[in-house]
Amino acid sequence: MEAAVHSREIRKDNPTLRKILRTVIWILLILLSAFTLIPFVWMVSSSLKLDREVFAFPMRWIPETFHWENYSLIWQRVPLVTYFKNTAFIAVVVTVLQTLTSSFAAYAFAKLSFRGRDALFLCYIGTIAVPWQAYMLPQFIMMRSMGLYDTLWAMVVLQAFSAFGVFLMRQFYRSIPSELCEAARLDGLSEYGIWARIMLPLSKAAIATLVIFTFVSTWNDYMGPMIYLTRDINKTVQVGLRRFIQENSSDYHLIMAASLCSLLPVSVVFLCLQRYFIEGIATSGLKG
Amino acid sequence: MKKMLSVMLAAMMLLSLLAMPALAEDQVLTVVTWDATTTPYLIAQKEAFEASHPGVKIEYVDVASQDYAVKTTTMLEGGDKSDVIMIKEIDNLINWQAQGFAAPLTDYIGGYDLSGFVGTEANYAVDGVQYAIPFRSDFWVLFYNKDLFDAAGVEYPTNDMTWDQYAELAKKMTDKEKDVYGTHYHTWLSAVANWAVCDGVNTLADRNYDDLLYFYKLYQDLEDSGACMSYADLKASGLHYSAAFANGNVAMMPMGYWYVSTLIGYNKDGTCNFNWGITAVPHAEGVAAGSSFGNLTGAMINAKSEQKDLAWEYVSWLGGVEGAKATASTGARPAWVSEDVAAAMSSVEGFPADETSKGALLPAAVAMEWPVAEKVSDIKTIVNEEHTMIMTREITPEEGIEEMNERVAELFE
Amino acid sequence: MSQAEVKKVRHRMGKLERKNTLVAYSFLAPNFIGFAVFTLVPVICAVLLSLFEWNGGDISKLKFVGLENYATIFATKKVAEKGIEYFFNRVDLGIALKNTVYYTVVTVPLTIVCALALALLLNKIKGAVFFRTVFFFPYVSSMVAICVCWSFMLMKDGPINQIIMALGINFNKGWTADSTMAIWSIILVSVWRNMGYYMVLYLAALQGIPRELMEAATVDGANKWQQFLHVTLPQLKPTTFFVSVMMVISCFKIYDVVAIMTDGGPGRATKMLVTYIYDEAFVKVRYGQASAIAMILLIIVLAVTMIQFSSEKKFSND
Repeated sequence: MEAAVHSREIRKDNPTLRKILRTVIWILLILLSAFTLIPFVWMVSSSLKLDREVFAFPMRWIPETFHWENYSLIWQRVPLVTYFKNTAFIAVVVTVLQTLTSSFAAYAFAKLSFRGRDALFLCYIGTIAVPWQAYMLPQFIMMRSMGLYDTLWAMVVLQAFSAFGVFLMRQFYRSIPSELCEAARLDGLSEYGIWARIMLPLSKAAIATLVIFTFVSTWNDYMGPMIYLTRDINKTVQVGLRRFIQENSSDYHLIMAASLCSLLPVSVVFLCLQRYFIEGIATSGLKG
Repeated sequence: MKKMLSVMLAAMMLLSLLAMPALAEDQVLTVVTWDATTTPYLIAQKEAFEASHPGVKIEYVDVASQDYAVKTTTMLEGGDKSDVIMIKEIDNLINWQAQGFAAPLTDYIGGYDLSGFVGTEANYAVDGVQYAIPFRSDFWVLFYNKDLFDAAGVEYPTNDMTWDQYAELAKKMTDKEKDVYGTHYHTWLSAVANWAVCDGVNTLADRNYDDLLYFYKLYQDLEDSGACMSYADLKASGLHYSAAFANGNVAMMPMGYWYVSTLIGYNKDGTCNFNWGITAVPHAEGVAAGSSFGNLTGAMINAKSEQKDLAWEYVSWLGGVEGAKATASTGARPAWVSEDVAAAMSSVEGFPADETSKGALLPAAVAMEWPVAEKVSDIKTIVNEEHTMIMTREITPEEGIEEMNERVAELFE
Repeated sequence: MSQAEVKKVRHRMGKLERKNTLVAYSFLAPNFIGFAVFTLVPVICAVLLSLFEWNGGDISKLKFVGLENYATIFATKKVAEKGIEYFFNRVDLGIALKNTVYYTVVTVPLTIVCALALALLLNKIKGAVFFRTVFFFPYVSSMVAICVCWSFMLMKDGPINQIIMALGINFNKGWTADSTMAIWSIILVSVWRNMGYYMVLYLAALQGIPRELMEAATVDGANKWQQFLHVTLPQLKPTTFFVSVMMVISCFKIYDVVAIMTDGGPGRATKMLVTYIYDEAFVKVRYGQASAIAMILLIIVLAVTMIQFSSEKKFSND
C-alpha cells in the first residue's frame, strides 16, 4: 500500500517521468495510425494512376504522372451525383428513424419490467443472428408485393428498424443508475417524461454513437441496394462503385477515386459528432 | 375563381388526352442485362433493332455483372415482369427453366431457321423444348503482341501449334531483363486446364479429371521458368487480364474471343498502342488444329412478360442474321455463323489485317466450356476449389486431380 | 393483514403491472411494428423453409421434407460410416463450421483488446480528435476498396511481406494464396477494420463512468492499474457484453471480406458459413438447404448469446 502511494507520489511529483510516458504513448499512437493509414495512402496513389499502373510491380507509392482527371472522369462515367443524393436521402431518413424508435424501445427493455420482456429481447437478438442472405428472398417477395421494389423507401424500411439499435441503446441505458429513474418516478414524472428529460439528455454519447454507426452502415451497404434498387435514378454510391468493375474490364483507379469521394460525407458526420464522446455524462454533473 | 379552376381542369384533361397517344405510341420492351451502358454490342444491337422496328423502344435493366445471377434470380422470384432476360451462363437458364421463369419457345420456333447456330442452340433446350436463343458465342483464341515478337526477331505463332510448341515459344519470348513475359494465364480454370475438353470427347462433367494433368504440369513448368506471372500474385492483386495484356509486356495470352472488341477499343482510345493478332489456340497431340471451347450468351423470354410476341420478335432478331451483324460490327462474335457474318467480323475497324487472324475466326470445332449435365453446379464448385489448391501449390496436380475424381464421385453415390 | 386486504393489494399490483406492461409496449411499438413486419416475418419464413425442399419458382412447388435438408448438409450417412473426422475434413458444412469458429475465436478477443486499448489511450489525451478519426477511418471506407487494397498489401512481394522479411522471418508467399495464412489475412483485415468501430463504443462508454467513482478510488489510494481493474472494467461491463455479443454474431456472419479477398479459397480454406449459404441459395438454388445452414448458424449464435446473457445477469450490479 505504501509502495503504491509512494509510486503515485513519484509520478505526480516527477514531471519528466510523466513527459516520457506521454511521449511513449504518442509514439505508439503515431505508429499505429501509420499502420492504419498505409492502405489509404495506397488508395490515394492508385486513384491518381492509370488502370494498368495500379498493380504494376515494383509498386510505386508516387505515380509517375498524376492523373487528376480520374476525379472528373468518375462523375462523367456514371451519374454519381444522383447516387450521392439517393444515398444521402436513405442514410439520413434511416438514421433519424432508427435513433428515435430504438432509443424509445430500448428504454422499455432497459428500465421497465413487463411480461415477455426477455423473450421479446431474445427475439430481437435472434434476428440479428440470422444472416441476411438466408431471409433475403422471403423479404424480397414480401416487399415487392407491397410495391416497395425499386424505391428508396425499400431501403429505408429495411434498415430503419434493425435490432442493432435497440440492443445498443439498451446497453447504454443499463449503465445509467436505476435510482435516477426511481427518484424521478417518486417526483411524479411519467415514464415518457423520464425518457425525454432524464434518459435522453444523459445518453448523448450513446446517441451520437448510434447515429454514426447507422449512418455509416447505411452509407456503405452494398447487398441491400444491389438487390432492391434497379433503375439508375435509384442506385446508391456503393452500387455505383461496382459499375467500374465490369465483365471484361475493371477500372480500379476509378474505384479508388470514387470510394475516396464517398468517404468524405461519412467522415464529416463522424467529425461533427465525435465531440460528444468528450462531453459525456462525466461533465454534465451527474450525482448518483 | 371557380371558372378559372374549371378551365384549368379542362385544359389538363385535354393535355392528358393529347399526351396519351404519344405515350401509347412507343412500345417499350424491357431487357435485363449487364454492363448495358458500356458494352459496345448492346449499344449497337439496341440502335439497329430500334431502327428496323419503328415504334419499339428497348429499355435495358442494367445489373452489375458480378452479381447478375443473384440479382436476376431474386427479381424473377419476386415476380418481375421484364420481357427479355439475357443469359450469362448456361446454368442460369437451366435454373430459371426449372423454376418456371423461362417461357417455352415451342409456339414460335416452328418456322424459325436455326441452321446458323450449328447445333449450339441445343444447350438452351431442356427435354427437347427450346427455351432461349443464343446471340453471342465466344470461343477461345490466342492473342499475341506482334511488336514484342518483332523486337525479339521470333516468328509469330500460327494457327497450327501444339501445346508443347507453344510452351517452347513462351519460354523463348520471356526476357526477364526487359520484364517481358512469354505468356499470360488468367486465374480461371478455363484459362489453364479447360483445354482438355477441346477434343470433343472429354467434358468437365464426365467424372474423370486425369486429362487435366497435362495442362497443369504445362502451366507449372511455365510458371517455374518465369514465363508467366504467378497465379498467387494475380489472384491477390486481382489484376485483370485486359490490363495485363494491354500493359504490353506479355507476348501471348489465351483468352475468349470477346477480348477482341476490348482491344479494338483500347487501340482507339490509346490505352494501348501496339500491334496484336490472334491465332487459334494450340492443340494437344492428336487433336485437330483449330479446336477450341467456348460458351454462349443468349436471351430468353420471361414467362411473366405481358408482350411475349414482341419479345419473340426481339429475341429472334437478336439471334438471327440482322442481329448477328449488329453484334459483329462491334468486334463481338455472334452465335449465328455464316459467310457474311464472318466478313462483317473481320471488316471491323481495328481488327488485325493478317490472314492468320482471319483464319482464327473459323475454328475447326468448338466444345462447350461446361456441358449441360446433372449436378453440374456442384461439380463446378468442387473442380474450381481444387483448381485453386493446385494453382497455389498447396497440393500437387496429381493430388488435386485425385481429389476432384473422389469428391465428384461422392456426389453421385 | 387480512385476507381481503391481501387480495386488494394483489389486485392493485396486477392493475399496476398491466398498466406498466401497456406503457412498456407503447415504448416498443414504433420500433417493433417495423421490425416485426420487415425482419421478423421473413426470418420466420426462413426458419420454416429449412424444413422444405424448394428450388424456387412457384410456391406450389414447396415440398415438406422434415429434417432431410439437415441430414443432407450434415452428410449423416457418410459421417456415420466414416466418423467425425470425415465431417470436419471433407463435408462442406464441417469445413465451413471449423473455419468460422476458428475465425471467430481469434477475431473477437483480438478486436476487443485492441479496441479497448485504443479507447483508453485516447480517452484523455491531446490530439485525440485526430487519432480517433484515423482509427475510425477503416470502418467508414467502402469494402471493395479496402479489400482490393489489402489483397495488394498481402501479396508475395507486397509491403507487409517486406516488413516481415526485414524482421528476419522467412515467409514469401502471398497470404491469400496460402491455406493457413488465408484465414489470417481475413482476420487481419477484420481487426483492422473493426477495432475503430468498437473503440468508438468504448469511448462512449468511458464517458459514462461517473467521475466521482474515479475520484473516490483515487482518494482510497488506488493506483492507475487498480483503478482500471476495479472501477473502469466493471463499469464497462454492459458495453463489453454488447461488444462481445455483436462481435460473435458478426464474426459468424462474415461474408464480404471473404467474398472479395479469397472467395473461400484456396480450396476450402476460408469457406465460411455464410459463403456456403450464399452458394447453396444463389448458385445451386437450393433454398431449403441454404435455410437449414442458416438455422445451424442461428442455433450456435443463440446458444453463445444465452451464455453471455446469463453471465451478464449474474455479474451485473443492478
